[in-house]
Amino acid sequence: MATLAAPAIAAATTPTEYSGVWGWITTTDHKRIGRLYLFTALFFMLWGGAEAEIIRTQLRAPNMHFVSAATYNEIFTMHGTTMIFLAVMPLSAAFFNLLIPLQIGARDVAFPRLNAFSYWVYVLGGIVISLPIFFHAAPNGGWFGYTPLTTNAYSPGINIDVWVIGLQILGISSLAAGFNFITTIINMRAPGMNLMRMPMFTWMSFVVQFLIILAFPVITVALIFLVFDRFFGTNFYTTAAGADPLLWQHLFWIFGHPEVYILVLPAFGLVSEVLPTFARKPLFGYPVMVYSGILIGVLGFGVWAHHMFAVGMGPIADSFFSLTTMLIAVPTGVKIFNWIFTLWGGAIRFTVANCFAIGLLAMFTIGGISGVMHSSPPADLQQTDTYFVVAHFHYVLFGGSLMGLFAGIYYYFPKFTGRLLDERLGYWHFWLNLLGSNLTFFPMHFSGLNGMPRRIYTYDADQGWDTYNLLSTIGAYLVGVATLIFIYNILRSARHGQRAGNDPWGAPSLEWSIASPPPIYNFERIPTVTSRYPLWDVKDPQLTADVPHTEQGDFRLRVVVGGEHEGTVQFHPEPDVDPRHGAPLASERGTATAAELGIPIPYSTAKPFFAALGLVIMLCSLLTSHLDTHVPMYGLLFGGAAVLVASLYAWFTSPLEPEVAHA
Amino acid sequence: MPHPSRARRRVTLAALVAVCVLAACQNGPNTTFEPHSEFGRAIDGLWKLLLHVGTVVFIFVETLLVYTIIRFRRREGQPEPKHVHGNTRLEILWTVTPAIVLACIAVPTVRTIFRTQARATPDALQVEVYGHQWWWEFRYPQYGVVTANEVYLPIGRKVNFALRTQDVLHSFWIPQMGGKRDLIANHTNYLWFTPDSSLGVLDWNGTCNEYCGLSHANMKFRVFTVLPADFERWAHHQALATTVGAVPPTTPVAAPATATPAGAPAAPARVGIRSAPDPLVRTVAQVSGGAPAVAPASTVVDSGYVFPADRMRSNVVAHTPIPDGLAFSPLVTGDAERGMQTYNKSACIGCHAIKGNPYSAGIVGPNLTHLASRHTIAAGLYPNDTDHLRLWIKNARAMKPGVIMPVLGVNEIDPLTHARVTAAVGGLTDQQIADIVAYLQLLR
Repeated sequence: MATLAAPAIAAATTPTEYSGVWGWITTTDHKRIGRLYLFTALFFMLWGGAEAEIIRTQLRAPNMHFVSAATYNEIFTMHGTTMIFLAVMPLSAAFFNLLIPLQIGARDVAFPRLNAFSYWVYVLGGIVISLPIFFHAAPNGGWFGYTPLTTNAYSPGINIDVWVIGLQILGISSLAAGFNFITTIINMRAPGMNLMRMPMFTWMSFVVQFLIILAFPVITVALIFLVFDRFFGTNFYTTAAGADPLLWQHLFWIFGHPEVYILVLPAFGLVSEVLPTFARKPLFGYPVMVYSGILIGVLGFGVWAHHMFAVGMGPIADSFFSLTTMLIAVPTGVKIFNWIFTLWGGAIRFTVANCFAIGLLAMFTIGGISGVMHSSPPADLQQTDTYFVVAHFHYVLFGGSLMGLFAGIYYYFPKFTGRLLDERLGYWHFWLNLLGSNLTFFPMHFSGLNGMPRRIYTYDADQGWDTYNLLSTIGAYLVGVATLIFIYNILRSARHGQRAGNDPWGAPSLEWSIASPPPIYNFERIPTVTSRYPLWDVKDPQLTADVPHTEQGDFRLRVVVGGEHEGTVQFHPEPDVDPRHGAPLASERGTATAAELGIPIPYSTAKPFFAALGLVIMLCSLLTSHLDTHVPMYGLLFGGAAVLVASLYAWFTSPLEPEVAHA
Repeated sequence: MPHPSRARRRVTLAALVAVCVLAACQNGPNTTFEPHSEFGRAIDGLWKLLLHVGTVVFIFVETLLVYTIIRFRRREGQPEPKHVHGNTRLEILWTVTPAIVLACIAVPTVRTIFRTQARATPDALQVEVYGHQWWWEFRYPQYGVVTANEVYLPIGRKVNFALRTQDVLHSFWIPQMGGKRDLIANHTNYLWFTPDSSLGVLDWNGTCNEYCGLSHANMKFRVFTVLPADFERWAHHQALATTVGAVPPTTPVAAPATATPAGAPAAPARVGIRSAPDPLVRTVAQVSGGAPAVAPASTVVDSGYVFPADRMRSNVVAHTPIPDGLAFSPLVTGDAERGMQTYNKSACIGCHAIKGNPYSAGIVGPNLTHLASRHTIAAGLYPNDTDHLRLWIKNARAMKPGVIMPVLGVNEIDPLTHARVTAAVGGLTDQQIADIVAYLQLLR
C-alpha cells in the first residue's frame, strides 16, 4: 500500500461546495442528491398516505360524504400516481444514489450533473402533478388513465392535461437516471469488483435500470399520442373516429407491468443486503438470486396483458398471458426460498431493519399467492377490478416494496447520518405497521370476493361490505400512526441518535468500510476487491473462507480516477465504536479534505437545476391552453426553452471537475 | 439490542387470525362464492383449486419462515454459524416443485378459458347491453324490448349478452352468475351463461367494474331471475307501447298469446319508437280530465309481469340517502294529463323515448316506456317512488354527481355550472314536476 503524494489540483480556489439552500441546489454529490431524493420521496409518501387516509375515511361506512365524488376520484388517482411515481420509485432512486457508487467502490456516479438534473426534474414534475389538487384540477382518470375516458371528449378539463404532462416530466427524470446508473455500474466498478461480486442491491438496481430504459419509452409514446390527441386534435384514441381503446391499454401495461418490478426489485435488493448481515451468513445461492432477478425482469415484459383478461382478447391470448404470468412465479418463489435459507442455520439478530426484511418475506408471499390466483383468467374475471386486486397489489407494493425500503432506511440511515435510528421507536413503527397494513389489506380480499368494485367513491348499505371496510379503515389509521412514529424517529435520531461508527451491523460490503457519513470522495483510495464479501475479508476472514478469492496482487490496476492508486480495502474501526458510548461523527473527527488528498471533486453547479426548470416550464406551457389568450403559452414555451438551451449550453461547455495535474 | 417480545407477536398473530376467521364467516349477499350458473361454477371450480393450493403454499412458506426465525435466532455464546453459500440440489428442488404445482393449475385454466369463451348456442336469449355514462341500456332484440338498468332473465335458459358501449369503457358484472366482461368502444364482447333452473325467483345486483368517470360508483343495475312463463309475460308487456289519455284510444290489444319463437330474426331494437302512432298503442289509463286531486287509477288490461317489490332482498333495494339541500313542496299533487303535456313541451323529449308518445323519441337517456315497472331509478341508485322521481327531475345532478341530465327545477342551482335555473331556460316548477311524475308513473 503505497502512499502517494497528493496530486495538485488545478484551480484549487474554485469552490466545490456551497452552503445552505444554494449548496443543495448546486450539489452534484451523489450522497447529497440521494438524501434529497430520500426526503422528497418521504414527503410525497406522507402526501400519498394522507390521500389514502381520506380514501379510507370516505369508505369507512356506506353512503359517506366525507369528500365529494369529484374529489374522491382525484384523490384515488393521485394516491396511485403519488405512491408509484413520487414516493416508491424515488425512494428506490434515493438508494440507487446513496448506495451504488459506495457498493461498487466508486467516487460518484458516471454523470454527476445528469444525476442532479434527474432529481430536479423529478421534484419539479412532482410539484406540477401534485399542486393542482388544491384547485380541484388534479388528475381524475385513474393512475392507469384508460382512454377514451382520458380523451378530450370525456375529460375536457385541465385535470388530465396535468397528468399527461406530469408523467412525461417524471419519465424524463427516470430515463436520465436509468442511463446514468447503467453507465456507472458498467464502467465504474473498483478493480476486482466483477459482475458476480456486486452486492445484490446493486445487481437488482442494475436490472431495474434496464427495465426503466426499456419500459419508459413505451409509456412516453403512449402519452405523446394522448398529448397530441388532447392538444393538437389527432385521433389515436378518439373512439368516435374509429380508434381502438385497447391500443392505450396494451401500451400502458407493456410499461405498467415492468413498472411493478421497477418498484419491487430494489426492495428485494435491500432485503438481500439486510438478511445476510443479521443472519451472519452469506446470501444463499447468490448466482441463482442474480439469475432469478434477471429472469423476473425479462419475463416482466411478457405478461402485461394479464391486466386485460376482461377486455375480451380471445382464448389464445388469454392462455398465453396466463401461462407467462404463472411462469414468473417460479423465479419469484426461488427468491423467497433462497432468503429463507439465508436465515436457515444462521445466528439471526433481530433489529428493526431485519424485522422489516423478514416482514417483506411474509407479506410479499401473500401478494405472490394472490397474484397466482388471478393469473388464471377465468378466476381473474371474478376478481379483476374488485377490492381483491387492491388487496393483492398492496401486499406486493406495501408488503413488498415499502417493507423492503423501510428495512433499507433502518439499515442504511447510520451510514448516511452517522447515527442509528432509535430501535424502540422503530419497533413501534414495525409492529403498528405490520398490524395496520394487514388489518387494512387482508379484509379487502373479502370485500372484493363479496363483490365490491374498485374505484367507487361510495357504496350502498346492506351489501355485506361494511365490516371489512371498517376494519380496513381502522388498519389504515394504524398505518398512519406508525408512519408518524417513523417520521418522528427520523427527525429525532438525525440529531440525537446513537453514534454509529463505520460498521454498526457487521456487514460484508464496501460501503461499510468508510466513515459514516462518508467523506465527499467516498474512498480515500479506490479499494481492490478480491471476493464477493470484501469487508468480511478484512474483518472476519473466516466468514468468507470458502468463497472464491482473487489472490492479492492480481489487481495491480491503474485506477484512473484520482491518479494512480494501488489500494486494498481500508477499514479502520474507530477507537470507541461502541454505540452506547458514542464514537465521534466522521464530520466532527475531521477527515482529510478532497483537496488535501488530491482527489478531484465535481464542481457544484446550478446548471442542471436551471436546465430542469427550463424543461419543466417549457412542458407546462401546454397547461395554459385553456386560457382565452395564448400569450402565456408562448411565453412559457419560449421562455422555458431559452432557459433550457442556455443552461444546457453552459453545462456542456463547462468542465465537470478540476483537472488533475500529474506530478 | 431490544427483542420483539414473543407475547406481542402472539397478540398480533391472534388478532390477524381473528380477523381472517371473522371475515371468512360472512358470505355477503353479493358473494362470488355461490355461483348460480354453469359459467360461475366453471370459475368456482378453478377458484377452489387456486384457493386450496394457495392456502397450502401460504401455510408452508409462512410456517417455514416463522420456524426459521425462531429456531435460528441468535443466542448468547453461540459459535459463528456455518457458512453455506448455496445448494444446487435444493435450489433445483424449489424451482421444479413450484413449476409442477403451476402446471397443475395451468391445465384446467386453459381448458376453462376455451370452454367459457366458446360461442354461445344460437338459441340463447339475446340481450344487447349498452353502457352509458352512468347507466345501462338493455335491449332484447328477439322481443323488441328496450329497457334500462333492470334485466330480467328466465331461469334455465342460456342468455348471451352482447356488450357494447356508447362512450367510455365499462365492465358488466353479476357476481353470482360468473365473471365480468368489459364494454370496449368499437368492439362487441360477449358473455353467456345459464341461470340455474333450480334458482327460483330471485333478485341480484350488477355493477360497473371499469372506472368510467365521476359517477362510476353509481352505475349499478338489477337482475331478476324469473320463471320462463313470467319472463315471457314481462317481455311481451315491455315490448308494448304505453300511452295516456291524449292519444285517441284504440282497441286494446292484449299481449300476443303466442310468444315470439326463440331464435326468430331479431327485431330491430328501435322499431316503433320513431314511427308513431305505434300499431300496438294501448290505453293504459283513462285520465279523468281536470281532477288533479288523486293520480288517476290506471285501468290496466294486462300489467304483464313485474318482479314483486316485496320479494326484493335488502341488498338489492336502494338505500341511498337523499343528498342534503333538496326539498320538494309537500302539498303538491300531480296531474298526469297535464304532466304529459308539460313533458311533451319540455327538454325531456330531447333525450328520452316513450314508445307510444310520438313526441318523445330521444336516444340519449334511458328509455322511459315502462319506467313505472322498474324498481329503481338513476341506475340503481334510488328507489322508484314519487319522492325520488320528483327530486330527480328537479335536480338530477345533485342526486347523482355528473349526470348529463340537466337540472330542471326552477331556482335550483346546477352543481356543475353553479348557475341558477330559471323558467326562461326551461326550468320547471314543483307543480309541473309533480305533473310529469304523475304521467311517468302511469307508464307501467
